[in-house]
Amino acid sequence: MNRKVTKVLGLAMAAAMTVMTGCGNSAPAAVSDTTDNSTDNAVVSEASADQGETRKIGVLVADVSGEEALGFRNYYEKYIQNNYNVTFDYTDALASAEDEKAAIEKFASKGYDAVISLSSSDRAQQIETCEEYGIYYAVASGVLDESQYETYKTYEHFVGQVGPSNETEFEAGKEMGKYFKDKGVKSVAIYGAFIPNPMHVYRAAGVIAGLGDTYGGTDDMNGMIGQIFQDQGVDLTKVSGDVEVVAYLQGYGDTTTDELNAAIQKAPEAFISVGMATTFFAQTLSQENIPFSDIDSFTAMNSESMKNGSLEYLAGKYSSSIGPVFALVMDAINGNVIRDPEGNAVSFTQGYLVATDAESFDKYYVNDNGDTPIFDKASLDGIIGQDVTYDDVKALIESK
Amino acid sequence: MSTLKKILKTLAIPAAVAVVLEGICLANGQTIISGAKSFDNFVVYTAIVMITTMALSINLNSGRFDFSLGAMAGLSSVIGAKITYGFLKGGSGSALLMLIITVLAGALLGLISGAVYCALRLPPIIVSLGVTLVYEGIMYTITGGKYLMSEVQNRSMSGFVGTWVYAAVIIAAVLIFMIIVFERTSFGYDYNALKSGQKVAVATGINEVKNALICYTICGGLMGLVGMLNAARNTTINGGQLNFGSIAIMFTAFLPMFIAGYIGRFGNEKVGFLLSALCMSLLNSTFAVFSNRINATTQSIINAVLLVIFLVYLNNNHLIKRIFAHV
Repeated sequence: MNRKVTKVLGLAMAAAMTVMTGCGNSAPAAVSDTTDNSTDNAVVSEASADQGETRKIGVLVADVSGEEALGFRNYYEKYIQNNYNVTFDYTDALASAEDEKAAIEKFASKGYDAVISLSSSDRAQQIETCEEYGIYYAVASGVLDESQYETYKTYEHFVGQVGPSNETEFEAGKEMGKYFKDKGVKSVAIYGAFIPNPMHVYRAAGVIAGLGDTYGGTDDMNGMIGQIFQDQGVDLTKVSGDVEVVAYLQGYGDTTTDELNAAIQKAPEAFISVGMATTFFAQTLSQENIPFSDIDSFTAMNSESMKNGSLEYLAGKYSSSIGPVFALVMDAINGNVIRDPEGNAVSFTQGYLVATDAESFDKYYVNDNGDTPIFDKASLDGIIGQDVTYDDVKALIESK
Repeated sequence: MSTLKKILKTLAIPAAVAVVLEGICLANGQTIISGAKSFDNFVVYTAIVMITTMALSINLNSGRFDFSLGAMAGLSSVIGAKITYGFLKGGSGSALLMLIITVLAGALLGLISGAVYCALRLPPIIVSLGVTLVYEGIMYTITGGKYLMSEVQNRSMSGFVGTWVYAAVIIAAVLIFMIIVFERTSFGYDYNALKSGQKVAVATGINEVKNALICYTICGGLMGLVGMLNAARNTTINGGQLNFGSIAIMFTAFLPMFIAGYIGRFGNEKVGFLLSALCMSLLNSTFAVFSNRINATTQSIINAVLLVIFLVYLNNNHLIKRIFAHV
């Protein structure tokens, strides 16, 4: 091989490696370039040219593939971005607290106005970092635990949180477990999603309680979640009760397919998931005709699983349920930082809707689809403005 | 050694593994294969391990350590899934079309990898690390770091791994292909000559570069096949495998490769790959039986310990024989 070819190939390799490794999950690269949204931005600029400066909001995400995450993203990037003078910049999948911190720092260095968090590795650090850089911060999925909220509720740049409370998560899991127990199911497999994510811990504890089982001898919420946090998962030797949990798996990685196959091999009468089974396992479970349930979102793919697959129970949120958080953030950016009557960052709880058949699923799905979301422009306009108060926001959230 | 003795020694390890593992399962009131689904999984996993082991051994036997196996499997399956979905939208025939495209893409990626190695003349371990990063980066760029799901979740794909038949056909086809190509062709003779003594082989006029390029191409094609099987089995393809995230796949092949090497002393090495893959699949199915007691981390540790024990045995079996002779 002549030397010229060798040099050219060497340079090409080096250049390609440099470019590609830039796509790594190291923090600085975690934030995608805003130029990716150039087409949409052009539309926004045209549509909202009279609305002043374009606001820039960074969105922290841990999940980039799940049905719920895609529904949320679609709502922000397709609906909100086309109706308001704002651009959303999503991170890549954030795997750790360090990634979250680095992503916020990147947003801050690029002059972003606010950060909305759908990632929960370390929310305390997220708030601290946003406070340090002086950019507004809000939680759009799940909520801080009580002690964290007490600590940070007076922070100047902490706008607030809108989502299911931990108790709501527990109840959602409990209802799901109870559904199968009432059906007379005697054995189940449980998917713990991404425990020790608090949201999933509370849901898993709820499922066990709903099945009428105990964990470590207790069915009390706090007693169970304390143990699950400590175990970093569900230890089946601690589960006892009428409904047998024949298999448990969590996370998603190289061994997940083997674990799922092992669970199926144990012939459970139902597969109960506390998140993302509709994304990862819908095809396999439907193929094996195993009834399954999940806590997710009302999306087209889940509709398909309920109509033609074996998805039997879905506790979900509207994809537009993250609309009010956007409104709160926009108000803060525009100078109207809304506080609760005690002068603290706002905290609103949202509940789950449950579908157990295609008809009820479609009711929620169609109502919150595409150009006609539940939290549409008309309703959000009512809580975006200089005169908007805490009560206005509360009234809107409670009305849906 | 008589033929009967060779056959007995060839089958000794898989038979012993089956007896021990089935014994453990029976002692706990279970069996390794508990039903049709379990058998389907067993055969599909056997195919994945056998083909990965063959792909790894092609270059490793010639002193070329290739870290890019996983990246080739991942990227070729992403390419196959995207193109197939673009044409058929998940309709009938998706699995067959994806299989063809994925294998071709894998072969092309292998050829590129080999060409880079031959052109740069750097140590293969360095080149393969670079190629891995590049392929992972391309995969990430195509998928945006997401899991590919809608592209591989359809009836055609689930039918492909929903029965053991297709996996068994693939095992047979690959086995025949490997035996013919590496043992019955001039390429195979050259390959074996280079493997035994590179300098002498080159001095006799064997084209080393051409041989290496064909090796890399076959290796890539095999990993394309593995990518296809994994995509169908997992119902997803992880597009976010960056910073050597794809390397893990090759480590599943080390233990079976050494077992195959041992079995190859008494018979055909390629058949050894199949038998060692059967051993690994039996172990995997046993893990499935005890999945509530043996988690994924413990399984990895058990695999690693077995590898070490087997390597210790391979390197000291003459000592062990001597000890038993004195006893």
